[in-house]
Amino acid sequence: MTTLDIVMVIVRVSISAFVPLCFLAVCVTMERRVAGFVQDRSGPNRAGIYGFRAGGLVQNLADGIKLAFKEDIISEHVEHKFLYVLAPIISMAAAIISFALIPFADTLVLDGKAYVMQGIPWDTGILWFLAVTGFSVYGIILAGWSSTNKYSLLGALRSASQVISYEIPMGLAVISLLIVYGSINLSDIARFQGQNWLGFIPMWGIFLQPLAAVIFIVAAFAECNRTPFDLAEGESELVAGFHLEYSAMKFAVFFMGEYVAMFASSAVIVTLFFGGYNIPFFSTDFLIRNIKPVAFVMLVILPVFMFYFAKWIRRNNRSQYPRENDPREAEATVYIRCFWILIGVIEVFLLAILAFAQPDTAAAHLLVALMQICTFLLKVTLMLFVYVWVRWTIPRFRYDQLQILGWQKLLPLALLNIFVTGAIVVALG
Amino acid sequence: MAAKVKQLPSRGGTPAEKVYLIEIFKGMGITLRHFLRNLWDNSNLYVRHYPEVQPNIPAHWRGRHRLLTHSDGTPKCVACFMCQTNCPANCIMIKAGERTDGITEKMPVSFTIDLAECIYCGYCVEACPEDAIRMDTGIYAFTSSNREEMKIEMDEMLSLKGGYTEEEYQKGLEDE
Ligand code: SF4
Ligand code: SF4
Repeated sequence: MTTLDIVMVIVRVSISAFVPLCFLAVCVTMERRVAGFVQDRSGPNRAGIYGFRAGGLVQNLADGIKLAFKEDIISEHVEHKFLYVLAPIISMAAAIISFALIPFADTLVLDGKAYVMQGIPWDTGILWFLAVTGFSVYGIILAGWSSTNKYSLLGALRSASQVISYEIPMGLAVISLLIVYGSINLSDIARFQGQNWLGFIPMWGIFLQPLAAVIFIVAAFAECNRTPFDLAEGESELVAGFHLEYSAMKFAVFFMGEYVAMFASSAVIVTLFFGGYNIPFFSTDFLIRNIKPVAFVMLVILPVFMFYFAKWIRRNNRSQYPRENDPREAEATVYIRCFWILIGVIEVFLLAILAFAQPDTAAAHLLVALMQICTFLLKVTLMLFVYVWVRWTIPRFRYDQLQILGWQKLLPLALLNIFVTGAIVVALG
Repeated sequence: MAAKVKQLPSRGGTPAEKVYLIEIFKGMGITLRHFLRNLWDNSNLYVRHYPEVQPNIPAHWRGRHRLLTHSDGTPKCVACFMCQTNCPANCIMIKAGERTDGITEKMPVSFTIDLAECIYCGYCVEACPEDAIRMDTGIYAFTSSNREEMKIEMDEMLSLKGGYTEEEYQKGLEDE
């Protein structure tokens, strides 16, 4: 192993382990602020450090500190203390490792060596995701059972039956996808979607398999226990469901696990249906060969984008009532300056690339990989937004409705989809 | 008067609605509109920035109690116990004593209202024959970290001023 190999291993593993954790802050803030805006209120925007509120991000810090310093109670009646403590760990760990096999950029070629940009470079791909998310329900079941509390147990039962019934349509939707893609390796799947149809329609899963996309996305919502399928914690009837007896950091781990699982399943949805890391219309080869024009376009677009972004910050980061020497305006100025500095640094790099880099060198490969990581994260963020958006739109299902939808609607549709897809693939040879 | 009945057409029966997904997309369209409007410019939000921007309290609004005084500063209350008898929350406690200044025969020695129990129904104000108690201070925020402090005594209630002029208050009573 050369030093480069070791560095690449560290980089890939840390991206796949820490990016989901960093996105926690994004998810939680987004959840709260979007909920606020959908309901025409503003959401948490008061917590701040010396007046810097960062649009609500500081609230997460406050909550994190609160949860970390709370008393950690294990009730007297909990009999299986070991399993009780194990449960949140399982659901968090399963959520994090389910992201490990998702490619966040195209295979990176450095010094003539190819590095698959996944946390773990195996080719089990989508099967890994299915297996690990199936495993994460053990966390919920153990939590519900070991809490020795009827509400927790009911929540866990609901969650278990829900995951089992939605895993089947999910698996079947994946089968019809595999017929199209011809591979279970997520890197291959993402590369396949980099092609264009008739030269202008990206060959994304959502266009090739719209029905499978709908089924998979619905089932993914159910797997994550998100509204409208969050019966496991229906607070109106089960108080809080499976995590009812958990307090302080153990609850926080459950909570984080839920969001990390949401991140991982968004990432899978993006990889399977929305082209993964691919920048629409531009294949990796094309970008690497034309690195100079690409760098030039970015050089121009970034400041323009920043200009409008700065305007948006100005408009929204001010006190909504008459106030002398508004401190929030000063706050906005600081933010805008920070962003401009960031943009300036990126511009310098781009200029360097424009001046020195030749197509098909390490620098070009790295730049393209970075752009693809950003694209991937952007797509995942949009998908996370969809999760949040659905949560604040649709009310919760009743339990029988949930099972009817799973078994009587999604399952036959998924089977039908397999037959149709198979027939078409056979007919087209 | 017969109850007004409004019959809403029952929804969800047509095939298009049974597909469910279409209706979900419509609903998501509505929430997205609200979201984008507020994201574009958050001065579109309907909320008031509360501690900085105070709400406008109308004169007939029932806030904290106060006891009224004669022009010489003595309480108007004659300790008739009407308010205490009427109070549905049983939170008024009056101790009556003799009045020596000749205006009336009785006056309260102590007059306590437990605001932690008060339900702000205003019956005490309506029951009072002397117009000695009113809830027109316009104070709506009253908090404390212990229960004892939620009991307010006669001196405190006597010293509070009305938040409105007499005409505004009378007009408020008519509006009610
Ligand atoms: S407002 Fe109602 S509850 Fe409160 S003191 Fe008066 S009568 Fe009692
Ligand atoms: S406040 Fe009014 S009703 Fe109550 S005891 Fe005094 S005079 Fe009577």
